[in-house]
Amino acid sequence: MIERPDMAPPDVDLDRVWTGVAAQVWRREPPRLERAAARLLRSPGLARALLTTPSLLAPWLIASVVVLGAGTIATAGTGEPLVWLIAPALAGAAIAYAYGPGIDPAWELLCSMAVSDRMVLLVRALAVFALNSVLGLAASAASGTAAAVTFGWLIPMTAVCALALAVATVTRSANTGAAAGSAAWIITVLAGQATAGKFTAVVTEAVLIIPYLAVAACCAAIVVYATRIPRGTS
Amino acid sequence: MAPPVAGCEKYALSVNLVRTGCNRGVMDDDELIARLADGDDVALRELFSRHAPWLAARLRAVLPAPDVEDVLQETFLAAWRSAATYAPQGVAGGWLWGIARRQAALVLRHGGPATVPLLDQEPGSAEDPAEAVLTRAQLAAAMTALGAPGGPEREVWRLLYLEDHTVAEVAELMGVPEGTVKSRAYRARRLLRAALRGATSAERDAR
Amino acid sequence: MNIELTDLTRRFGRNQAVAGVSLEAGPGVLGLLGPNGAGKTTLLRMMATVVPPSSGRMRLLSRDPGAHAQRREIRRRLGYLPQNLGYYPAFTVVEFIEYFALLKEMPPSRIPKAVAAAVEGVDLGTKARAKLRTLSGGMLRRVGIAQAIVNDPELLLLDEPTAGLDPEQRVAFRTLMRDLGERSTVVVSTHLVEDVGAACTEVALMDAGQIVFRGTPAELTVRGKDHGIGDAPLERGYSAVLAAARS
Repeated sequence: MIERPDMAPPDVDLDRVWTGVAAQVWRREPPRLERAAARLLRSPGLARALLTTPSLLAPWLIASVVVLGAGTIATAGTGEPLVWLIAPALAGAAIAYAYGPGIDPAWELLCSMAVSDRMVLLVRALAVFALNSVLGLAASAASGTAAAVTFGWLIPMTAVCALALAVATVTRSANTGAAAGSAAWIITVLAGQATAGKFTAVVTEAVLIIPYLAVAACCAAIVVYATRIPRGTS
Repeated sequence: MAPPVAGCEKYALSVNLVRTGCNRGVMDDDELIARLADGDDVALRELFSRHAPWLAARLRAVLPAPDVEDVLQETFLAAWRSAATYAPQGVAGGWLWGIARRQAALVLRHGGPATVPLLDQEPGSAEDPAEAVLTRAQLAAAMTALGAPGGPEREVWRLLYLEDHTVAEVAELMGVPEGTVKSRAYRARRLLRAALRGATSAERDAR
Repeated sequence: MNIELTDLTRRFGRNQAVAGVSLEAGPGVLGLLGPNGAGKTTLLRMMATVVPPSSGRMRLLSRDPGAHAQRREIRRRLGYLPQNLGYYPAFTVVEFIEYFALLKEMPPSRIPKAVAAAVEGVDLGTKARAKLRTLSGGMLRRVGIAQAIVNDPELLLLDEPTAGLDPEQRVAFRTLMRDLGERSTVVVSTHLVEDVGAACTEVALMDAGQIVFRGTPAELTVRGKDHGIGDAPLERGYSAVLAAARS
């Protein structure tokens, strides 16, 4: 790399000097949010993995806000609460795109890292879920519907998210997971309409809470089992 | 005196290529530094590969090897940060040497008691690095050997070594031919060396 | 001894990918040769602690990868380049390498210099801030090598590292391997026999899930005298050993 190495004194290591210069020129300063997350999680690697989650990045968040905002506005216009319908499906898709063999191209390599892939998965899933819950609740409150409908969708959302994540992990495809979560939710809503006569049955009927939680627990167990060993080419 | 433009020496003996080769090197340096200001790290890499060797050689004459590495690193980082302040004049080498000298001064100031790195050593000078570093008092005494301020040797010394002008520039500034500049510089160096030798031997006798 | 494998097996369903491998290796460069389906990739994945063995004993860097805390310690000192490494297209070269340096739990203060050294070590200095989607296949492979070496690993596992590299880059790579092999154990799995001869201090040949030869490249060459098929002496040794193992 050095043009005239014969000019340099023999005891001066110019390659080492350049490495020192390049280190400072190329370095990335982590943003404040990442530094805070690193302190909270006690791991700079985990913090970086969290903040590079596809469904936590700005474009995804903006899209989520837009969709929920549209739902809120539509509710105001038609009087029909809509956030409860949208939020679980949206969250399910977000979870499927949080992590997993389907979405992460360097997944095989991630499985050899000191920061365990399961920790990354857990932290990402929790963060995505929490964020979507907050967004959904804000939209619900803004659209001013009955309390049961405002909060009732949180538990179904847990089940939908768990299902989406389980399918995404097992099939190694985020798209399949998102599709499965949305499809399951739609079927559930339609079934509720068919049996109880109203669409909102799926979020207001207290008897459904246990089944939802059971589905969530089952799917979580599937995820834990499926991530115990990554499937490879051989 | 301006440092040799990297690559010129190899063309010096090749009659047809001397001027164009050298000029293109100078122009490219200016372009490189302009690109530094734009944040082009590849330009910094190129600048480093061209200038680090001769800068290292010059610094090595006054500093030990580990300090040379530190100074070089700080020099190029400082160049990276202050590239926007460089006005393209084809004196990239002098600009870099100016930064390097300031960094070297910092290292020496922190390294020992009130020492000031001073003389722009001619590369290949046989002087001991320790002797090249003077206290302010010794310097003042040595400077009087050059004659009164404004005198020919003193002026040549100031313009050529302290302000880093080329021989051609000094000739123009002083209104004398280049040959005169060179012989005055030679005389000035001889006077200084004699004064320094006298000063250090007096110091040695006093111990 | 950085690698101590005793009777290691790995089964996927009905397929016995690794069928009883015993291996010991200290510092140096070990070439892992063998045809497709021989089990080289699975063996490497087990050593990278990505896949647990079905049976057998494994000790890496004097630690037991079956225990959680020790596995983490191994992984901090491990470098791994999988056969198919995906990339994050929007990341730059240094961002990608830095990401994995962080995930290997390198102390953050040491990372900038380590990343710069790794980038220069694979000769990508002029592409440091280029986005990965703008790079060619050979350059991406070198980025993969760089993330594997960024933490100065004691155990370096490379699966087909020279895929996509031109001859000049392969020569540079071999020099890099020799340098690394002085302090650490490097295992290079490849089907390019000439890579093995040039850089490796030792060779292991795998076929049908087992190791059928272990020795120096010179010893492998000797096995090929009068027996083997191939253009180069090492290739002849390779085919001779395989033929003997299958008969």
